[in-house]
Formats: sequence, structure tokens, C-alpha cells
Amino acid sequence: MKKVLSFFKSWEFFLICLLAVTCAIFELKDQANLAAGLAKKDVFNFVNIVRSLRPYLLYAFMTLGMMLILALGDMDISVGAIATLSVVMLAIVYRFFTQSGMNNMLAFVLSILACLVTGVLCGGVNGFLVTRFKELFPMIITLATQLFFRGFSYLLIGGETITFKDDTFALLKELNSLIDLGWVKLPVMIPIFLAFAAVFFVWLHLTSGGRKVFAIGTNPTTARYSGVQVDRIKMICYVIAGLMSAVTGIFFVGATSSSVKADIMDGYHMYAIAAAILGGFSTDGGKGSVIGAVLSLFIFGILKIGLGTLFGFPDSSVNLSVGVILILSVLIPNISQDIKNANRVRKQRAQTAMQKA
Amino acid sequence: MQTKKERKALYALLIEHREIPLLAVLALLLVAISIRVPGYIPKSYMNVLKNGSINMVMACGMLCVLLVGSIDISITAILAFVGCVAGKLMGLGIVQATWLMFVLGVVIGAAIGAVNGVLASYGRVIAIIVTLGTSYIVRALIPMEWLMGMNKINPTDLTNDFAFFLTGNQFLGLPLLVWMAVAVTVITGVFLKYTCTGRNLYAVGSNAEAAQMRGVPINRVKVLAHVICGATAGLAGIMWLSFYNAVEKSTANGNEMFTIAACVLGGVSVTGGYGKITGVVIGAVMIALIDNAIPMLGIGNSMITEFVKGILLLFAILLNVILQRMANRRDLARRNI
Repeated sequence: MKKVLSFFKSWEFFLICLLAVTCAIFELKDQANLAAGLAKKDVFNFVNIVRSLRPYLLYAFMTLGMMLILALGDMDISVGAIATLSVVMLAIVYRFFTQSGMNNMLAFVLSILACLVTGVLCGGVNGFLVTRFKELFPMIITLATQLFFRGFSYLLIGGETITFKDDTFALLKELNSLIDLGWVKLPVMIPIFLAFAAVFFVWLHLTSGGRKVFAIGTNPTTARYSGVQVDRIKMICYVIAGLMSAVTGIFFVGATSSSVKADIMDGYHMYAIAAAILGGFSTDGGKGSVIGAVLSLFIFGILKIGLGTLFGFPDSSVNLSVGVILILSVLIPNISQDIKNANRVRKQRAQTAMQKA
Repeated sequence: MQTKKERKALYALLIEHREIPLLAVLALLLVAISIRVPGYIPKSYMNVLKNGSINMVMACGMLCVLLVGSIDISITAILAFVGCVAGKLMGLGIVQATWLMFVLGVVIGAAIGAVNGVLASYGRVIAIIVTLGTSYIVRALIPMEWLMGMNKINPTDLTNDFAFFLTGNQFLGLPLLVWMAVAVTVITGVFLKYTCTGRNLYAVGSNAEAAQMRGVPINRVKVLAHVICGATAGLAGIMWLSFYNAVEKSTANGNEMFTIAACVLGGVSVTGGYGKITGVVIGAVMIALIDNAIPMLGIGNSMITEFVKGILLLFAILLNVILQRMANRRDLARRNI
């Protein structure tokens, strides 16, 4: 019974309510459009949403990585730059091997590997600096490494756009295609993402290694004194964040019709942070859940689809709602906590007054 | 004995004035460029100053915010918003006077900064989240139909007087644009060093609890810092409009990182409580110089400036930490611990 009650008080429940409310509003608007004859058939249904979610889930993998960093109580600004750099590396390696006459397929596999290794290395650099220079805020370190990684990708290819037209490279486009399941067309990305999220969920919430992440986020000193290898776990988290950025980059190349530029993923860290924050993570660290993060990703996606197609709002109004939600999602719990505290104080005062009387 | 004392003094000097190593790097850079490109300094100092001044104005506000242990990443959004609103008002013929534009910019910027500050201090929302949110909101407001729909401001929207105000007018051989940055810098420096409120910013940043015990109104000081930052960002918006004569909704997107970088390069501590205006000036000049000079060196491709900026920032912040550690170790050694 208590468990059920605590579920209704949890952040995930709030997110589910938010999702339901947005869906209800969009559905009503859809029906109104239909009744008024503005639309020929209903646009806002499950099949359509699932089909068009893909572009809004591009930064989903990055959010999974960012989640870990936020749970540690740090912040990683460089994930967008890491994604860009690993994609640039992918393009360069692929171009080098195909031009030197290697089998396309082999070159493709090697370049994907290079991309992932680049992500891991960049994450490793972040982790190394963060664990070695504890006096500095991780945010500042990653700000510097962001400039560094971005500059590195500019250094590698400059302002040119690398485009590949051969069939092997077009395999990446398959990552952004739809699977026909008969009743619904499912983007390939969604099952892959959910599988990743499930792995993260099991690791973060059900194993001791994942719980240690939250322990570090709550209080690093206590965690260290209770035998948690803080530096090692931090390092692992940063490496995973880098790896997830590289994965995001691979998906992104497919979405941009196989062309690579040195600024394709700039600014994406902000989306990842916003999604993770709405998912219940805090820059203070120590709280949040994978389910919340996944829910908030879907909320953002559905919000964008609904506001764009049903209300005809431009992209900027979506950003507006993202900003408002972001602030409110932190402000409202704070205010409710304040009210709770004030109530408790009042109650206690009343009690002491009664005792005196 | 004498040499030992001198070396200790050197250490103390380096710790006390973290901008000195930076100054050395700056001098090194200038020498290298002068050797490679003869006559660089007399030819391009004006461009460096012009391009750096807008960043400098924003960095002054950023310094105040960083001093209280907060951060503001909405400044470039404020810049774009203020530029668009003021430009549109001028285009519609509502505002024509040049001085009124500057007042308008500062007021709008300060208002947005006040919202940031109130949410961050009284609402206890972490500053980076608040300002991330407001930067989304403010940038999204720019193309809204009910808010005049100012997607883009063109030079035709501006009066001639305003379009040439900052670059056309000169005083002692420097355009007003540079003088404006100098004025803001001097005012900020005097405010931070010699006024009671300015010292309160340092007090709140270095130890908020102690400051509260001494009767410093922490929340009000934090709001004030954010208001200053917003006001400078608004001023920078008007300066941008007058300098480039064009603003659109994605103007200066991502440039806030360079403003923060200028502050961090200048030795400002991001945890609050430490930072000097002289360091920020050197940092801003450095960033402007790299932007201007590195392409002329002819190494690599034209985009190499980003790389150099990143390396330099990384190097500068790590150097700060290493110097601090050396100083600590020496202190311990002196006390035989």
C-alpha cells in the first residue's frame, strides 16, 4: 500500500500526468479540427505519432549519457562536440580507406569502430581531467574541452562538407528508416533506444555499481569513506557519456543524408540537459531515474509534433514551451517543499502552544 | 637567503595576480604574430579592439554573476532579443533618438536579468537551469507574431544617425564603440573595488553563510548581479545592432561560451568570490586577438582559431590549478607539515 502511495507522489507519476494532459489537449484540438472541417482525418493518433517521433529522438542516446553525469552531480557540456568529432572521424577514416582501395564494407566497419573509439577517448579525456583536477568545476573543464573538441573537428576538415553517395555508407540511413509491423510503422531507432534504456535502467537502479553513482552524487566524501572508488566510477560515467555521444553521432549522420560538417551537432548538449532535467535529474546530483528521462524525451517529442502539426506553431514556440517547462520543473518542487516546511513549522508551533496552555 | 625571499615573492605574486601568466602568453602571441606578419600591430589593433569590445561589455556583466557563484548563459539570447526589439521599434518609427535606444536596451536587458536573478535566488533554482530556460524562452519570443514578428532587422530599419553612431564617431582616434566598452569596464571595476555593494558581491561568492551572518542580503545581491549582467547584455545588443547594422533570431548563438571563456582565462573563479576586472580585460583581448590574428598566421585552415581557443582555455584553467597546488604545498612545507 505504501509503495503504491509513494508511486503517486513520485516524479514519474507527474511526468505521466503531464504526458496524458498534453495528449488529451492535442486530441481535443484534433477532434475540433475534424469537426470544423479543417482537417480531413484525424492526425493525432498513435500510429502517426510513433511514425514521426524519430527526428525528435536524435539526442536520446546523448541524454542517456548526460543522465549519468547529472546523477554524479556534474555537468558535461562537451557531449555535442564529442558527437561532432566522432562523426568527423568516421567520415575521415571512411574516406581514407575507400580512397586507398579497401573493400567498402570493411572500411565501413572500421570507420564505425573509429567513431566509437573517438567517443570513448574524448570521454576518457573529460574523465581524466575531472578526476585529476577536482578543484575545478566539471562544467568549466567540459566547457574548455568542448571548445577543444570542436576546434579539433574544424582542424580536421575545416569548413568543407563531406558527402558519401555509395551504397555501403547508405546503410547508416537504414538506422533512420521505419519498420513495417503491419498496424504501425516503427522507426528502427525506437527499439534500439529502448534496449539501451533498459540496459541503463538495470545498471543504474538494480546493481550496486549504479547505486554508487547516486551515492557519489549525493555526497562524494561520504561515498569515498564508505569504500566507493569515486574516481573510477566517475571515469566510467564520463567514458559512457562519450560513447553515447558517438552513438548519437552515428544516428545523426544517417539523418543528414550522409553528409558530415564540422558543426552538425553544435548546441545539442542543451537539449540533452533539458530532457534529463525534466526527467527528474538535478545538477545537484543524487536523484532521478531512467524511466523519467525516457518519459521526458517522449514528452518533448510529442510536444513538438503536436504544437507543430496541430496548432501550426513555428519551431520557436516549441522552444518557448521547453524553456517554460524546464524552469517550472525545478521551481514547482522547490515551492511545494517550501509550503510543506512552512506547514510543518506552523503545526509544531500550534502543538507547543497547546502544550503550554 | 635573498634569492629565496625573491622566489617566494614571485610565487605570491603569481597566486595573487593570476592574470600575469596570461599576460605573458599574450605578449608571446603578439611577438610571434609580429615576427610572422610584419607590421601586424599598427595595422590591425583597431580591428581587434572593435571586435573585442562587445564581448568585453558582456564579460563585465558575466564577471559580476560569476563572482556571486552563479552563471548566466542567456546573455547572447538577451543580446539578440534586445537587438531585434529595439531595431524593430526603430524601423516602425516609434523610437528615433539614439540615446533612447541605449536606454531601452539596458532596461529590457535588466528586466530579463531580474527575472533570472529572482528565480535563481528566491526560487532556489540552479542558475544554469534558469538561464538555460530563459535563453530558450527569449530566443523563441523573437519571431512571435504577436510581438511584432521581428525575424530579422535590416540596415534599412535603422536611422542613419544610429547606424553610424558607434563606428562613425571618433574620440581620440578610437571609435565610440571602443570607448563604450572602456567606460563599462571602468565603471564595473570601480563598482567592484570601491563600493560597499561591490564588495558584497565578493562576500556572497566566497562564503554565503558568513556574508549572511554579517548582514549582507544574499538574495538581493544575487538579483543585483543578474540585473547587471542582463543590463550589460542588453547594452551589448544595441552595440551589436549599431556595429553590424543587422540582427536576427540566431545572432551570436553560442557566443556566451566565449564570454565565459574570457572570464575564466582572466582567472575568475567559477565557484565565486575571486576575480578581477583586469584579468577579464586581458582575457577578452586575448580572445579577440586569437580571432583576428590566427588566420593571418597561415597555419592549417581558416577554422583553426577554434582549436587554439580551446587549447588555450584548457591550458589556462589547468595552469591556475597547478599554481594553486604549488602554492599550497609550499605553504605546508614552510610550516613543516
